[in-house]
Amino acid sequence: MKRVLIICGTGIATSTVVASKVRDHLQEVGLQASVDQGKVMDLLRGDIEADLIVATTDVPDTVKVPVVRAIALLTGFGEDEVYRQIDSHLS
Amino acid sequence: MMEQVLAAISSHITTLGPSVVLPILITLFGLGLGLSFSRAFRAGITIGIGFIGINLVIGLLGEQVAPAAQAMATNFGVKLSVVDVGWPSSAAIAFGSTIGAVIIPVGLVVNIVLLLTGLTRTLDIDLWNYWHSALIGALVAAITGNFWLGLMCAGIHLAVILSMADITAPVAQKYFKLPDISFPHGTSAPYGILAMPLNWLFDRIPGFNKLDATPEAIQKRFGIFGETLMLGLILGLLIGVLAFPFRDPAKDVAAILTLAISLAAAMFLLPRMVAILMEGLLPISEAARKFVQKRFPGRQFYIGLDSAVAVGQPSVIATSLILVPVTLLLAVALAPLGNQVLPLVDLATIPFIVAVMVAVFRGNIVRSVLGGAIMIGFGLFIATWIAPAFTQVAVSSGFKLGEGQTVISSLVDGANPMTGLFMGAAALGTPGVLVLAVLCVAFVVGTKVLLDRRARSQLAAQTDAADDATVG
Repeated sequence: MKRVLIICGTGIATSTVVASKVRDHLQEVGLQASVDQGKVMDLLRGDIEADLIVATTDVPDTVKVPVVRAIALLTGFGEDEVYRQIDSHLS
Repeated sequence: MMEQVLAAISSHITTLGPSVVLPILITLFGLGLGLSFSRAFRAGITIGIGFIGINLVIGLLGEQVAPAAQAMATNFGVKLSVVDVGWPSSAAIAFGSTIGAVIIPVGLVVNIVLLLTGLTRTLDIDLWNYWHSALIGALVAAITGNFWLGLMCAGIHLAVILSMADITAPVAQKYFKLPDISFPHGTSAPYGILAMPLNWLFDRIPGFNKLDATPEAIQKRFGIFGETLMLGLILGLLIGVLAFPFRDPAKDVAAILTLAISLAAAMFLLPRMVAILMEGLLPISEAARKFVQKRFPGRQFYIGLDSAVAVGQPSVIATSLILVPVTLLLAVALAPLGNQVLPLVDLATIPFIVAVMVAVFRGNIVRSVLGGAIMIGFGLFIATWIAPAFTQVAVSSGFKLGEGQTVISSLVDGANPMTGLFMGAAALGTPGVLVLAVLCVAFVVGTKVLLDRRARSQLAAQTDAADDATVG
């Protein structure tokens, strides 16, 4: 199963919003993936166990996992494009 | 009549606690915003669970850390006995207060009125961060004993924060490359405003105005300070060694290790518990966002977001990492001058203190660290000063602080300049609060006038340039 890591500044605030939307979306389109939350500071350590990062904030350049920016899921403008990118990484 | 109803509600909140009352209130809000009963009810119950979780962890802090802090004070005369319970607790305390019970509808009304009158241009879609305003309101209500004054302060605080978000929006949008976004965040916005005169000053200090540092090296060297889990453990060991100085080695070693793992647990668990609270609030906040956005179609507003989206910026991370040890040193160094706050949980929240400041300083890490240290240094005195009121609000919001005389406070927003301002006014009684209210309204109106003027002159400059281009 693919692993999605949702990243924001705290691993709590905006990532909870995005994680819940991504979970709903994946269920809707029938994609199997685990969805976890984390804070951007955790990425500094380097060993990232995820196939895709969905982030509401910048992630360090050292991160080699593909990243989808998901501010649109907070504002409500351009959500479909974010979902499309997530789908293309996971399928 | 209204007052009696509210007094009755308030006394029920006190007896039942937010873990019972908020689920009911949230279910009602949810239904009012058009959610199905099962979604609204689930949201309410989730919030109740979050409160119980936070209460458990605050209890752990109270039982383990408070006695150790007091022992450390007796052993070494470093009187850092006010436990920093952090923003997770502050937010829960704020939402659990009588003001917090009504902050969501009140906040929405304030924001909509400001947009309709054109006084501010930020539509805050981040209802979670209403807690900053609720905390201000709850503190003022606790000091003055007047619910209505507290509620007014919460509304006015929100208006000022929205106005501040408008002021910093152009800088933040450009620096973080987030078009149409602003940060009406109770913690980040005021520090961003204060950074403006500081930046002006820094520009004029010869030599200093040339200094900068690169974020990459700092991230590598200070990375450990970003790991809540390790930070809690190390701090716990440190406090433990100072609190239990091996008079009875076997017993003290056990006490030190227990303290270390407990503090690591508290700092790790508190944000997790708040995430549950957030999860519960989510359907409500989504419904409210859609409700408002549907009613203002096609209008150009800044979209107000949580500054969490700015925290990942490398200079913000680097500045925050350096400020963790700096904050601890400041707390110890300022103890003889009256600081009593032992920074703990909010060491992980420093990114929110500096997020907008870093944009104002254009990512200059030297300036951001110095600016942050100045703000936090002053803030420690504010947090110390408001600690009794903060503790009182926590207790009346239903939080159990463990045995003995545990006094709590927080950096976010206990140390915030806005908290200091409103508490200072509240200490002067009703006249003080009213004068501050008038000043705040003047600030909001003045900001609008200035920003409008700036927008007009920019537009004029653009048209001139366009005219020149056609002529040339």
